[in-house]
Amino acid sequence: MGWENWIISTFSRSLAYGTPLLLGTLGEIYSERSGVLNLGVEGMMIMGAYSAFTTTYMTKNPWFGILVAGIIGGIFSLIHAFTSITLKANQTVSGLSLTMLGLGLSGVLGKGWEGKPLPSTIPKMIITPLNSLPVLGPIFFQGQNLIVYFTLILVPILWYILFRTRIGITIRAVGESPATADSQGINVARVRYVCVFIGGILAGTAGGYLSVAYRPAWTEGMTAGMGWIVIALTIFSFWNPINGMLGAFLFAALYHLSFRLQSYISPELLKAMPYAMAIIVLIFVSRGNLQKRVGAPAALSLPYMRGED
Amino acid sequence: MLTGKKITVVLSILFILSFTLASMAAEYVPGTPLKAGFIYVGPVGDLGWSHAHDEARRICEDTFPWLETVYVESVPEGNEGLYIDKLIQEEKCDVVFTTSFGFMDGTVMAAQRHPEKILAHCSGFKRTPNLMTYMADFYQIYYLNGLMAGALTKTNKTAYVGAFPIPEVKRHMDAFTIGVKETNPEAEVHVRWIYEWFSPTAAKEAAEALIAEGCDVFAFTEDSPTVVQVAAEKGYPSFGHYSPMYDFSPDYVVSGQIAHWEAIYLDFLAKVYAGVYKAHNLADLDYWWLLKEKAVEIGAKPGMLINPLFEDDLKAKKVNDPVLGEINVYDLVMKRLEQMSDPSMVFDPFNGPVYDREGKLRVPEGSRMSVYELTTMEWAAQGIVGPWE
Repeated sequence: MGWENWIISTFSRSLAYGTPLLLGTLGEIYSERSGVLNLGVEGMMIMGAYSAFTTTYMTKNPWFGILVAGIIGGIFSLIHAFTSITLKANQTVSGLSLTMLGLGLSGVLGKGWEGKPLPSTIPKMIITPLNSLPVLGPIFFQGQNLIVYFTLILVPILWYILFRTRIGITIRAVGESPATADSQGINVARVRYVCVFIGGILAGTAGGYLSVAYRPAWTEGMTAGMGWIVIALTIFSFWNPINGMLGAFLFAALYHLSFRLQSYISPELLKAMPYAMAIIVLIFVSRGNLQKRVGAPAALSLPYMRGED
Repeated sequence: MLTGKKITVVLSILFILSFTLASMAAEYVPGTPLKAGFIYVGPVGDLGWSHAHDEARRICEDTFPWLETVYVESVPEGNEGLYIDKLIQEEKCDVVFTTSFGFMDGTVMAAQRHPEKILAHCSGFKRTPNLMTYMADFYQIYYLNGLMAGALTKTNKTAYVGAFPIPEVKRHMDAFTIGVKETNPEAEVHVRWIYEWFSPTAAKEAAEALIAEGCDVFAFTEDSPTVVQVAAEKGYPSFGHYSPMYDFSPDYVVSGQIAHWEAIYLDFLAKVYAGVYKAHNLADLDYWWLLKEKAVEIGAKPGMLINPLFEDDLKAKKVNDPVLGEINVYDLVMKRLEQMSDPSMVFDPFNGPVYDREGKLRVPEGSRMSVYELTTMEWAAQGIVGPWE
């Protein structure tokens, strides 16, 4: 078993498992950049997974399933947007409720759908002749699916919008100082609604990826905590899509390696590895001056009320 | 007018009365309607362990007109005591089944709290006068699956994704490995642990890791069809676990293990109803049911013992058995199944001599493992590659 085998399996599995994490993280970055902490990622993801599965089952079209997952995730996120932006409720509580609501609702609705094989799933692609490239071929052009590529393309686009366009400045301004943005004539509530909605769409899509491409099957609670990893990765990324990509794929690579390395290192230790890494990075991120440089949006999780600052 | 004193008196009378009534209704009277509660560790839709128990529960309820059942799903290990109390006190259950190894100590304590009720713990080994244990064990089926896996592997590496390194799973791995070695002495069984009973993601990545190691036939212990699906994507054969998994990949599921918990539940509940088993004579009752009691079945789905697509491959592979002579693997599986289904169980996978992977003799020639030895098994059979603790 040569080193190529290790590299190929680690990177290709990292892409496959990291993609839903990355999609969720990209969405959460946008939401948090606008100042809204959404702890409902897990709930939006599972609703996406449920709706993608049922839609695909009924229409036999997995792409339609993914589309519906995105829409449902988006609509679901509006609950959080409404309570936290319009009603100015506590964002932590509202987000947590969204997670619980999503897990519960999908569990109840999904009862009859468990254990059903899906008639059609997102196809895995083999791109000739690129797949015959050494090492890179099997990683990128053999057995991945379109959503993986779509997500990879999304990263630079979302980064560009956030840091190089007027729209991005607007979003960041709203997240840093909503009062200032408001005085400049920016509609704070509208910007936040849009960002939360984007977060919902991406989290829903991530869930859809799980149930019609990655597994593919529906089971109650199948997101199994991925939404919380997304929250950690968002902090890990310093709210930057490029770092988010690195974080998601690094986490996924470690997750895969934790199974491959079992013959050599104690499995219990390996199981903790990806999470330990997340904690270590969080420690570094939250240290004094570094925090100033890369820190969270200043108005994160603070509802904006005109005339109060 | 009611004074405070009168109210106190009335309340205390009611209080005492309710106690008397409660204790009168406490012990189950044979021949009267019976209520049984089931506590599951996973969701009933998981297609694995909990699902199989719930199927059995429904069969019992359909079979016995005098039986009413309730269940609680996804109960975390450690919280079983609360749910047992709830089932007994609020639901008025006469019999409570707890269906996970990790529920053992909580069930024992609950049995002591409710000495007048009948409890039953699945897969454990602690009993009390009102607590029996039961298990429909798969090790014979895993052995038969192993015979087929050994014949089907081309890389001489078969794979086993395991849930937790506990005796039950180790016993199944050992039995599987003994089967693999019997039809293919060159083959190995590569093992990965996921430390979850139900985790499709972990099962998927563990299976992918085994594929990267070069494994090409898959068996597993996890409560979802994930490993079957991952293997099928790559075109590798696999063996379903717990529920019929044929439908998830009809071209690649060779066979598998199917549980029939109803065999045990029907027998036990009928005997409780008849007054054979009461809340004071269960201390020595252990249902350890295998193929011959029909508590377990081998098959890709009920009635399909071996997927016809693999019949030719299995018939093409021949082995030399000291007793049976030259025999093809298909016939060998059928012969072994027949031997183990025989009431006297003329064959068992753990017939001596059996050596572990360190070369230590574990079962001497001419002897067979006892139920106690089987349920406390910790050693790895020869041919197992990978972590063991």
